[in-house]
Amino acid sequence: MGGGALAALATAGAPSTAGAASRRYLRPPGAVAEEEFLSRCIHCGQCGEACPNRCIKYFGAENGHAAIDTPYIIPREKGCILCMKCGDVCPSGAIQPIPREAEAILDNVAMGHAVVDENLCLSFQGKTCGVCYRACPLPDVAIYVAMLEQPHVTDKCVGCGLCERSCIQMPQAIRVMPNRG
Amino acid sequence: MTAAKRKPFFLWRHLNKLRWLSLSLVFAMLVALPCLHVYQTYRAAHAYDLLAPSEQRFYDIMETLTSPLTDDPAEDLDVVKGSTWSGNFWGLKLSDPLAALGHISAGLTLYWPFLLTALIPLVITAIFGRIFCGWLCPANFLYELNTNLTAWLQWAGLKVGHRRFDRRIKYLVLAVGLLLSVFSGSIMVAAVYPPAIVGRELYYGIAQGGFGVGMVFFAGTLLFDLLVARRGFCRYLCPGGALYSLLGRYRLVRLRRLVEACNDCRKCNAVCEFELDPWRDGFGQECTNCAACIAICPTNAMTFDIRPFDHPEQGPGHLGQRYRRGREEQMDEAV
Repeated sequence: MGGGALAALATAGAPSTAGAASRRYLRPPGAVAEEEFLSRCIHCGQCGEACPNRCIKYFGAENGHAAIDTPYIIPREKGCILCMKCGDVCPSGAIQPIPREAEAILDNVAMGHAVVDENLCLSFQGKTCGVCYRACPLPDVAIYVAMLEQPHVTDKCVGCGLCERSCIQMPQAIRVMPNRG
Repeated sequence: MTAAKRKPFFLWRHLNKLRWLSLSLVFAMLVALPCLHVYQTYRAAHAYDLLAPSEQRFYDIMETLTSPLTDDPAEDLDVVKGSTWSGNFWGLKLSDPLAALGHISAGLTLYWPFLLTALIPLVITAIFGRIFCGWLCPANFLYELNTNLTAWLQWAGLKVGHRRFDRRIKYLVLAVGLLLSVFSGSIMVAAVYPPAIVGRELYYGIAQGGFGVGMVFFAGTLLFDLLVARRGFCRYLCPGGALYSLLGRYRLVRLRRLVEACNDCRKCNAVCEFELDPWRDGFGQECTNCAACIAICPTNAMTFDIRPFDHPEQGPGHLGQRYRRGREEQMDEAV
């Protein structure tokens, strides 16, 4: 137990690097910054139980003891549909309630930010695709397509991961870089 | 107050059955909610035709069960979510006091919207004591069944555990758990608190495709109860039980032995899941008001009382031999 406490002190100081060293995962939409999230989350599982898309999964021991039973989203497996139910049901303020309106979502959700790898993206290789743009819940705001359906992500991207989920390239040419604060 | 004429209210003998009903219902709810959640996701996805045959059967069952209640399950079934650790019931959010305390420890802040969700359980505990443990806790449900299993296995020849430890260890577990929460910045007590684990793991097992690490811990506690100490985890280790005991120390509703009806058979002590001493009026802060001692008492000598302290020890039961001998000796001395 003492070793655990020491490890906890070590990770509590630098949660973002600890996260970066592990898998690339997102927290649910409306989640507060990582360190505060870990202190607020009571591991009740209600966010996942409210999620109609079942994109919210829970960590076992693989991501450190502080993250056990906390919710995460792997965008390539299943993106978030921004229904905002998890924030409504979260009792402890780890996920903030945000109304399901475009403006509120654009202002308050910051799960991550999509990045296009032009070396992989089909549209940048001359094969017009545009699937990520069509998957985006905020088209022309978070992402727009230029000539040949080449995608360009704007600053407004909230990082839901639906583009990465839908990318038909293997490996995916668009990835959401987590912004866990 | 003529205590000699007092008799326990006749329905109190049956409270233990009501308690089993309550425990079963809570456990059934923890199984039903993840099932409803999975059904909701099927509905939301309009995916009936894409489901596997077994999933379609599940869908049909859930549809049959819920169709009298709602036309729009994907939305309407959101009204009840969560577990005994923290839940949402028709907009009323309720949380375990240990969740509130752990939350304070992990963040060292007072986040009132969450802390207030523990208020109703707190008030109920102040009045009725540790009834969460006895009447609602889904882990207690399994632990009590485990006690029965232990008795059968013992009868069949297995060497089961009857070791005893210091019941105060659990207060240490509570303190250490909260301290670790402070140092790690994460609610560590949630990982060693069986009702939270059971609620979560049932959800993982049904809706997330498999049990998580908590199940290993919980299986360990069941084995501990079976092989080392009867009800060992609840008695000696549970941090939540420790917190509820402290909160219920001055509970108003508590059990009481009617000494004039007691025959010193000590069945109450034998049946007590929490190693208390009802036979000598020793209920203390750890009594869960589970009413098992009322149910088993052959002479109707157990009842409820409303007072913030236990009755002082009343000596041997008036129907027992010790008391009669004592009386005879007194009379001999008088003669």
